[in-house]
Amino acid sequence: MSNSTPAQNKVESDQPQQQKPQVLEEDDEFEDFPVEDWPQEEAEQPSGSANGTNEHLWEESWDDDDAAEDFSKQLKEELKKVEASS
Amino acid sequence: MAATPILDQFLGSVADLIQKRDGAKLQDFLQIEPPLSDIYQQMITELRQRYPPGSQSDTVLQQRCEVLVPKTKGGSSWSAFPTFMRLYFTFMRDVNVENLLETYNLLKTLLNQCVLALGDSQMGVVVLPTVLYLSKVLAKLAMGLDRRPELIAHILRMEGGNDHESFEKVTLVEKSANVVREAFIKCLTDRSGTPGPQAKPEGKRKGIYLMANLCLKLLFQCGKLRNAEQMFSSISAQSPPLAHFPASQRVTYLYYLGRYLFSNNLFYPAQIALQSAYDQCHREALSQRNLILTYLIPCNIIMGRFPARQLLQRPEARGLAENFDPLCRLIIRGDYLAFREHFAVKSPSAQWFARKGLLLTLRNRCEILVWRSFCRKVFIHGGYLGDPQAQAQRGPPPFLYLQKLLDATRWLQQQHNVQTVNGTSNGHTRAESHEYGSQTLSHATDPEYSGLADPDAVTAPDTDHEILEKYGDYLASDGYFDEGGNWQDNTPGNLIDGNPETDYEGCEFDPYADSGYGDEEDQSSLLMREIESILASLLTQGLMRGYLTHRNPRFAIPGARVRGALPTGFPNVWHTISTREKEDPHVPGWVQIREPTGLGAAAALGGGGRVVNLAGARPVGAQ
Repeated sequence: MSNSTPAQNKVESDQPQQQKPQVLEEDDEFEDFPVEDWPQEEAEQPSGSANGTNEHLWEESWDDDDAAEDFSKQLKEELKKVEASS
Repeated sequence: MAATPILDQFLGSVADLIQKRDGAKLQDFLQIEPPLSDIYQQMITELRQRYPPGSQSDTVLQQRCEVLVPKTKGGSSWSAFPTFMRLYFTFMRDVNVENLLETYNLLKTLLNQCVLALGDSQMGVVVLPTVLYLSKVLAKLAMGLDRRPELIAHILRMEGGNDHESFEKVTLVEKSANVVREAFIKCLTDRSGTPGPQAKPEGKRKGIYLMANLCLKLLFQCGKLRNAEQMFSSISAQSPPLAHFPASQRVTYLYYLGRYLFSNNLFYPAQIALQSAYDQCHREALSQRNLILTYLIPCNIIMGRFPARQLLQRPEARGLAENFDPLCRLIIRGDYLAFREHFAVKSPSAQWFARKGLLLTLRNRCEILVWRSFCRKVFIHGGYLGDPQAQAQRGPPPFLYLQKLLDATRWLQQQHNVQTVNGTSNGHTRAESHEYGSQTLSHATDPEYSGLADPDAVTAPDTDHEILEKYGDYLASDGYFDEGGNWQDNTPGNLIDGNPETDYEGCEFDPYADSGYGDEEDQSSLLMREIESILASLLTQGLMRGYLTHRNPRFAIPGARVRGALPTGFPNVWHTISTREKEDPHVPGWVQIREPTGLGAAAALGGGGRVVNLAGARPVGAQ
């Protein structure tokens, strides 16, 4: 495809420099990739064999059972106070 | 007459490329963007001397372009192409890049003609790379102009004239998206090669996702996401599987598809699309990976799965931890007022989320998770967790008096009121006691109504006389249409709907507004009702398990003997949602390589999957 022709690559690479100063939030634009295709190995993290199973990337159990945590402590105190007064 | 050696040579080369059907080389020849090399400058000079602007030279130029197309015997010649070439030459001759709007309009005309040339079933594919190239330049120009309205304001005013309003409605970016969509349709509906949604892409079909991605970029830019729906459903119906296309196109498409699904509150399919985009994205493409994560992470948070430190420490996650980490901590903490303060319009974090288009979604969808954490903590510290000794015996199930939740909510409100007095006041998140409306939140008075008397202070009802004076045109108008649609005159001063005292005695229905609401409700029971509603919502969504009693309000957790009260009453959010959503793993808009057997094949025969059906999709989070 034309993406690989030298003339266009030159034009493409010139463009961002011309536009950058006037364009706000350029980082929000999903840029074109410099290459058209790549094998899946180049998508994976060098060390990571477990890119597909992403268990270490996401926390599924985050419920807070720490009674010593500030908010829990205050809440506990308050509930005790209400209990005592009623 | 001036000679045109360069132009002659150029036309000769184009004719040669057409004959060889070399689309890539043709695109390479048809440069339009400055800086242009000397040879193009020379050709432009030739054009200006030999064919100065005017209908006569345009006709001659057109004739010169006609010979570029091979004449077929009896068959239709490719007439759109010579016109396109003539427009290319006049574009090169006339364009003044100082005037961006004019450049935009000329370029759009040129691209339109090129898309027409693309439509030819035999030769169209030759201009596919050119269509893509011109589309990209047009998109860049339109987006540049869109960001600098001051550049085109005066021209817009001139062109708009009396029709100013309707002119404004379609922005340059949207207009460009419409042209690109035409090209996309030509690619999608190409009948050359092996047709059908399972065949490998050939001919123009190779351009499906290139054009779709460009169109999506423009639609996102101009905020007309809804226009993408038709595109996704035609892709579902007609496109070859996405897997047959190069990685750059797959990743870009899945990114836009994921964002589209996210903005339609289809978080589970959005998460699948975005996760796949992330997994397939080149590891060194940090800016693209960063954008994918910007939407993949909130998708997961809404469904109760938080980004781990390991993910947030990756180089592509730069700038994300400082925004998503506090959000996760607020959900875990369970302080709904702190959560609202975090997302109050003026807070710096809210501005970041707003800029990314995430603010409203996260604010609406995550608060229910905050309430779940809050209920859980109140249950831990104020509930009856069950008697571990009495496992074998019959005992009451673990439960929580909702009064405790009410006390805790009031305490939370006090905490924040104190803070607001001492600290910065923002007035949007504090909850106060109201006569009506929500007891868990307070709204700033709408400036439109700020001149009115405080409704709480209005005690004495208006007299009938006053009411008639104010609302007589409605309650006692000169006439009305009866049930047959016929006009009936009314004696002035007579109430149209009859006398509320006599005519509606014993009727449940009373057309006159009654302000009796809230008389017997004290504030606590209003708050109690709201808390019951929140818990009912949590239970309906499966984010808490058990039942509510309304008399002596309680939340009870039956069947907790084996697993314990907490895991039973407050099941894992991600497991609950993902288990439910996994039942339908289909991602609308993503054409997969179909297994030869099973339901998929049957659906294909029956025409299933032709439409993106969003009706069956359930929202996650707030109901």
